[in-house]
Amino acid sequence: MTLRADHVAGSAFVVFGIAIIALSGDLPVGKLSMPGSGFLPIIVAAMTIVFGAALLLRSRESQPFSAIDWSDGKHAAAVTLITAVATGLYIYLGFIVTMAAMMIALLILIERRRPLYAAVYSFAVVLTTFAAFEYLLKTPLPPSPLSN
Amino acid sequence: MEVTLLNLMHGFSVAFQLDNLWYAFLGCLVGTLVGVLPGIGPLSGISILLPVTFGLNATQAVIMLAGIYYGSQYGGSTTSILMRIPGEASSVMTCIDGNAMARKGRAGSALCIAAVGSFIAGTFGVIMLTIVAPPLATIALRFGPPEYTALLILGLVFLAYMSSTSLVRTLLMACVGLMLGMIGIDNMTGHFRYSFDLVELGDGIGIVPVAVGLFGLGEILSTPSHKVTGEVISPKYRELLPNRQEWKESAWPIARGSVLGFIIGIIPGSAHVISSFLSYALERRVSKHPEEFGKGAVAGVAGPESANNAASTGAFVPMLALGIPTGPITAVLIGALMIHGVSVGPQLVNDHPDVFWGFVASMYVGNLMLLLLNLPLVGLFVSVLRIPYAYLYPLIIMFCIIGVYEVNHSVVDVWIMLIMGVVGYALRKFSFDPAPLVLGLVIAPIFEQSLRQSLIMSNGNYLIFFSRPISAALIAICIILLAMSAMTYMLKRKDWRDKLAEAEAGEPSA
Amino acid sequence: MDRRNFLMGTASMFAVAPAFAQDAFPSHTITILCAFPPGGANDIVTRPIAAAMEDIFKHPVVVETKAGAGGQVGAQVAAVAKPDGYTLLSHNNGISGYAEVDKLFGRQPKTQRSDFVPLARLIADPVLLLVNADLPYKTAKDFIDDAKKRPGEIVYSSGGLYGATHLPVALLEKATGVAQMRHLPTNGGGPAITALLGNNAQMSTQTVSASLAHIKAGKLRALASFGAARSKALPDVPTLKELGFDVEYYLWVGLFAPKGTPASAVATLSAAIDKAAATEQFKATLDKLGLEGGYLNAAGFAKFWEADAKSSDIAVQLIGKQG
Repeated sequence: MTLRADHVAGSAFVVFGIAIIALSGDLPVGKLSMPGSGFLPIIVAAMTIVFGAALLLRSRESQPFSAIDWSDGKHAAAVTLITAVATGLYIYLGFIVTMAAMMIALLILIERRRPLYAAVYSFAVVLTTFAAFEYLLKTPLPPSPLSN
Repeated sequence: MEVTLLNLMHGFSVAFQLDNLWYAFLGCLVGTLVGVLPGIGPLSGISILLPVTFGLNATQAVIMLAGIYYGSQYGGSTTSILMRIPGEASSVMTCIDGNAMARKGRAGSALCIAAVGSFIAGTFGVIMLTIVAPPLATIALRFGPPEYTALLILGLVFLAYMSSTSLVRTLLMACVGLMLGMIGIDNMTGHFRYSFDLVELGDGIGIVPVAVGLFGLGEILSTPSHKVTGEVISPKYRELLPNRQEWKESAWPIARGSVLGFIIGIIPGSAHVISSFLSYALERRVSKHPEEFGKGAVAGVAGPESANNAASTGAFVPMLALGIPTGPITAVLIGALMIHGVSVGPQLVNDHPDVFWGFVASMYVGNLMLLLLNLPLVGLFVSVLRIPYAYLYPLIIMFCIIGVYEVNHSVVDVWIMLIMGVVGYALRKFSFDPAPLVLGLVIAPIFEQSLRQSLIMSNGNYLIFFSRPISAALIAICIILLAMSAMTYMLKRKDWRDKLAEAEAGEPSA
Repeated sequence: MDRRNFLMGTASMFAVAPAFAQDAFPSHTITILCAFPPGGANDIVTRPIAAAMEDIFKHPVVVETKAGAGGQVGAQVAAVAKPDGYTLLSHNNGISGYAEVDKLFGRQPKTQRSDFVPLARLIADPVLLLVNADLPYKTAKDFIDDAKKRPGEIVYSSGGLYGATHLPVALLEKATGVAQMRHLPTNGGGPAITALLGNNAQMSTQTVSASLAHIKAGKLRALASFGAARSKALPDVPTLKELGFDVEYYLWVGLFAPKGTPASAVATLSAAIDKAAATEQFKATLDKLGLEGGYLNAAGFAKFWEADAKSSDIAVQLIGKQG
């Protein structure tokens, strides 16, 4: 039996449903005429398990797991990592520094663009956006810690 | 009727005063800006500019602030179409087919159709508001929790038509959405659910971070630039306008979207987000080519955009006629009027005819202004797509982060967006469609609350859903729809989904 | 919990860095965190006071919305903010009750009243005992008698569980001896009034300013006021005290500073708020909103808050855990 895409997806949903039920231990279920706060979550989690199982049963219709094209995985991982670092620093370093650094990193590390172009483009875009929010919309973006 | 016309004439005489025209224009301009830029929704736009209106009179203030509101509905489609970033929940459906159209080089056409559809829907909404506001408003009041529950069940039934994947996949996505929607404090009992002691999760997961992550970021993650090089379609300026075929395809969806959106808009509560979802599902149901949806169907842009705009106008009906807010934005407008000494209630028309009719008339003018403002901007916006993809996507990521952060000033939201981006990437690999997930997330809290509210009202008796006429009618529609699709299924043993599968089997999927 | 502390600790390390300049306060922008979304009383009152404070300080005073979880998000963010006087909190009755509710559920309280220094009470809007005008009740006595006769049958709407329009009902039930009415929680004052107008609920306790237009239009009937004196806008509506029930309840909006804010900054701030609240501009805004003042300075507010919080705790205990 080949491992198919829906084998993986179906099991993931079954596990997800079980995890939800396990996590809702202390929520009162109530009764049908007056559902408590654990009532609907458990119903929906049960439905997730049922549909996940249905997916497993019908997995023959799906393509083999090995046929999924992961060639964009490296790109996805790199972008996710850089964005995650930027998110972590966002409120500490402020909008201008973090976002410019993130864009430069994306352009140089992933896209291999010329550093000068990357820097000029990133700063131009970031400063324009900052000005638009700060002065036109009067909604300050996170400031840099050095600015006050 | 004559009285209405007379009043409306008076309203126009107020709206056409030079300073009022100026404030309507200013509101529309700011609204467009607020709508185009991610993160600042109409809600924060209005409350930020509220102090600016302290120096104005009540009519000018409400004309300007309402301009921001409906103006932002025009602009909201822009980032959806160009960058696949849904600025708010109601533009999620636009970003599916709108962005698909943009990829085919029809971005200009999609933006034009969105603008024209919004104009028609907005104007239709104002006309309805002028003629039938008071009687309609009374119906709106009869929309209590049981009716709400029934409406949302109808929404869930429509769900089956929303997605291009198999029914099991659609339902699975919807279930996950419903689960996510139940995170946070339970309004009925005060229990915290699945919030893991994070304050930011206490209020539940926002729709914007999830939608932006699944659609905007997810798309970027699965599109490395080497796959795009060479196929950048620079739109030509003479191809900006929709062609005749596209106009023809959008006419009925705009009309249906306008009516549907307006009806949902007048219902008090937070459900008018679902108008665009319902419209999309409806268009797909009635379309002769349902398989085109998701791949750049014109009706998939025209319908939801019109519905969305008609709903925002419909929301004014209960506000102006009864003084009750249909949602957070009308609540802010009511507050703004109160600051200007106009108490909004059933007496508004009689006590302050200038404000009421001036406001209504200004919406006719404002919609026209917005159309004239937005059509020339199409050319400008479309040139964003001339930026090479390698430079464009870092920009989109930045907009995703701003858009998500600015809504609540919460970094946790940005993390949610990032996680959802990865989830969106994985879902795509396993051929799941994330749209039903977003609908589930939108519906979950309202559905659960209205169901439980209904049961509190009836003391646990489920017959309440059948004993009240509106909810009984809605439930009857659900049953008919279900019976109909069961019939078609049994008669043909083959519905459009199978045809779609066949069509897809014919061409290797991208 | 530990990870949170660690994050917060790291955050404060970064945050402390630029705080070396201790010159005249204030030297830059002051941010008021508003714990409730735009459209609510907090937002409507905080923006004009911020505008008036700006004129006094000659530095920007920005209102930043930090809404969520019935005001808890804003309270919690303010509680851990750097206590330098540049971050203030605009909150309402809700801030009194979180600890008591957490206790009820056996949770570690996330914020305590002692986490905040009261600066001023901006408004106090008495709540009214309201019924749909189509119902036969003409006086508070009619209503109370009927509610006693039909225990558990009358439905009342509120803006949220343990919220400022839920607690007064508990106090009313206790003072009048009415048996438990059924509670229909909604998502705020507006939806609660809508439920009452649509007769999906029969009773609600809402503020004068929020309900006046509907009372004047004859859609809602005010049976009694929870204020100490009759409202000027509704001189015919008796107070509960006049009717012999010892209940008093206001929806109030107050400004707070995080615990640990230097005393000098607190003094400067409260003096400035005093001045801002006395401006014609601010008073005129309140007038238009139908709010009849209720301003208390720091000392007065601290005393009021003490007593009000006690009755809030009692109300939370009376309501108990639902479902």
